[in-house]
Amino acid sequence: MLDIFLIGVGGQGLLTIGEVIAEAATAMNLPVSFYPYKGMAQRGGLVKAQLRLGRATVGPNIPPRGADLVIAMEVSEALRAVRVLRPGGEFLLFGERWLPTAVMLGKAAYPALETVLEQVSAAGGHPVYLSPDSLPAGLPANLFVLGAAMGRTRLGNVLPAAAVEEAIRRRWPRNPEPNLAAFQAGHSISI
Amino acid sequence: MSSRKLLTGNEALALGALHAGARVITGYPGTPSTGAIESLLASQPPDVYVEWSTNEKVALEIAAGAAWAGQRALCTMKMSGLNVASDSLYSVAYSGVVGGLVIYVADDPGVSAGMCEQDSRGFALLADLPLLDPSSVTEAYQLTRLAFDLSEATGTPVLVRLVTAIAHASAPVEVGEPVPLPEREPQLLRDIARFTKAGAAICMQQHRDLIARLEAAGRWLRHAGLNSLQITDVAEGGHHPRLGIIAGGVVNAYLEEGLEMAARFGLDPRAVSKLRVRAPHPFPSEEVQALLRHVDTVLVLEELEPHLERGVYVEAHRLGFTGRIVGKLDGTLERVGEYDVRHVVRGIAAALDLPVPPDLFAASTEAEQLAAPRPITVCPGCPHRGTFLAINRAIRRAGYKRDQVMVTGDIGCTILGMNPPFDTVWNEVAMGASIGLAQGYVHAGVRTPVIATIGDSTFFHAGIPALINAVQHAVPLTVIIMDNGWTAMTGMQVNPGTAEDFQPPGGRRVDIAQLVPALGVEHFFVVDPFDLDGTTAVIQQALTLPGVKVILSRQECAIQAGRRGHRAGAVQVVPENCNLCKLCIMLTGCPAIDLGAEAVVIDPALCYGCGLCAQVCNRDALIHTPE
Repeated sequence: MLDIFLIGVGGQGLLTIGEVIAEAATAMNLPVSFYPYKGMAQRGGLVKAQLRLGRATVGPNIPPRGADLVIAMEVSEALRAVRVLRPGGEFLLFGERWLPTAVMLGKAAYPALETVLEQVSAAGGHPVYLSPDSLPAGLPANLFVLGAAMGRTRLGNVLPAAAVEEAIRRRWPRNPEPNLAAFQAGHSISI
Repeated sequence: MSSRKLLTGNEALALGALHAGARVITGYPGTPSTGAIESLLASQPPDVYVEWSTNEKVALEIAAGAAWAGQRALCTMKMSGLNVASDSLYSVAYSGVVGGLVIYVADDPGVSAGMCEQDSRGFALLADLPLLDPSSVTEAYQLTRLAFDLSEATGTPVLVRLVTAIAHASAPVEVGEPVPLPEREPQLLRDIARFTKAGAAICMQQHRDLIARLEAAGRWLRHAGLNSLQITDVAEGGHHPRLGIIAGGVVNAYLEEGLEMAARFGLDPRAVSKLRVRAPHPFPSEEVQALLRHVDTVLVLEELEPHLERGVYVEAHRLGFTGRIVGKLDGTLERVGEYDVRHVVRGIAAALDLPVPPDLFAASTEAEQLAAPRPITVCPGCPHRGTFLAINRAIRRAGYKRDQVMVTGDIGCTILGMNPPFDTVWNEVAMGASIGLAQGYVHAGVRTPVIATIGDSTFFHAGIPALINAVQHAVPLTVIIMDNGWTAMTGMQVNPGTAEDFQPPGGRRVDIAQLVPALGVEHFFVVDPFDLDGTTAVIQQALTLPGVKVILSRQECAIQAGRRGHRAGAVQVVPENCNLCKLCIMLTGCPAIDLGAEAVVIDPALCYGCGLCAQVCNRDALIHTPE
């Protein structure tokens, strides 16, 4: 059983990560619930989703301090997921920054990366940092992050990489290559 | 032969209706219900008529007409839409149906989409209609199929209610085969006593028939075993009172997890009797009484209003039950927000006085408070950005302060003008309400100009009657219709004003530019919101004119036009002219503008080329080249 919380901003392809995991799990007959939050999400707005793997009967919401794994794709938004992480859980942070207008205008503060990592540790979590600089040029960040989650967190113990690659091929039947390449680059990265 | 598919609750519900033989499917978009009809429009099932209707009332009337002609019909909407459709709903309920009629209503506990936390189970009570409340994505499929059988077996419309956590969630679903429903010839039944409300005798007889149908539905549901009762005897002589849990809808999905968790604090999960309610109305009295006869303490777990819980009190009174009833009415649980495993554990702990640590789920909110605020705003290239900027400028240029001019708001993307950097819109009530509200402000004696803003789909949905009212009563008012050609906020649905190319085959576009003058509006203007000066000048002029003024601010939604590869133009930065004054960012708030080291930077992937940033720049640092 694995409860995963995803967080980022609109336009990063975060929900696609969840959909690929859910497809891969379904193909393996592993029970899954995927619950995206897509209320009024605009490009650049908050996006989050909850994935619950391995329970036949499960409600879509993960309780506070219940997530085994958080996958965050934006430095500041990552802070909103800290309360969901269970003590001992893993927190994969892709360190991209999308500055809100108020921050650009100097009217609001933007948190430092160290602050986020400290908050994760203070909540009893294990931070796993993935630098945006490690993303090979021209490849989609979301599948790269999914690859890293498979290679560096307990998600890799629940789903075999081959099942995820198969789900990627099914989702992009005509041209799976960029997404597969991004996934594999993330999967083999050492953090 | 069945197959296993990963489906959202909306998709599962739509497929259930399809497999039950629905022939006419109508609805109006509204989060979280939109995905049901979207999935059908994408798959284009043969021999099934599917449409986005002008509003929910129209949608329900179409579905009811089809059901009166003997076909199976589905109508979909969010809870706010059921309010709009309710006038026809009550009346159709009195008449009953011939073919199966299922009304899908999506409630939004926890408010993912910004509206009331309305509990539509209350509508079932008001309308005397059966309501099914699936507890999972799989049940959304199964119970929708079943709802058509119930509808035809008892001659009543049936409500199926999903909450967001089921409508939007995906899970693997065992999908069965479609029912082999023979092709039905439409029937024309002339039955004045049934299909009109002509006179007290007819109406009261219909009321009696309605109550009889509801009772028949209750018997049908009992027989179908939808509300499953699981009585256990393990606790005889056990270490805690005999506990019975009654759970409604989605809360059932959290029971197992909650029982496991409570077991860590002394609960014997085998000693708990359970009633899982999937059909809350008509109230499952027999099942509840059977449970009450067996337990000392009852815990009622349901999101939003204490519908089931109140019924439990009634049955407890009838039986002379003297045990405890734990739920919302004793203050243990709240009526606000989504439920999850926390509520199950908290309820069990209160019912059995278990030593659950109060901080079991208490997480620190310190981290969240350090996150940068990220108010929702309009997308890059959104035409509404130009309209909001122009309204703000026109108000100032007409000699008013911003806080002197009321700008009423409406539902959809146009409400995003409530947020920075625009802060243009003041309020939001319901579809079409901006034009009526504005008239109220005028009649209240407001002497400054009053402006109403409304989107295109919203205008068609419910704005037109309010505009007619303003014309009839000559109310001085400026209505700004922000027409982006799509029902955008719910994910780009076609509405009557969408360009002809995207209308259903053989369908026609209804042009707002032709409609408004035909309503008797004397001062009517069409503007391009990407032309900031032109739009500002027209709004400023309108604020000085008498009577009803309507400004149609028209430009296609940039997201939708962008998907077809369209750009309005391109914007170049002239770095030597930019002094990083940030005026463009401050006024437009456009996510495509970023700060560089010595000048602003335009993200070419995000920029739609609307050119508004270039129009607000006063140093010629941004050059716009129209397409």
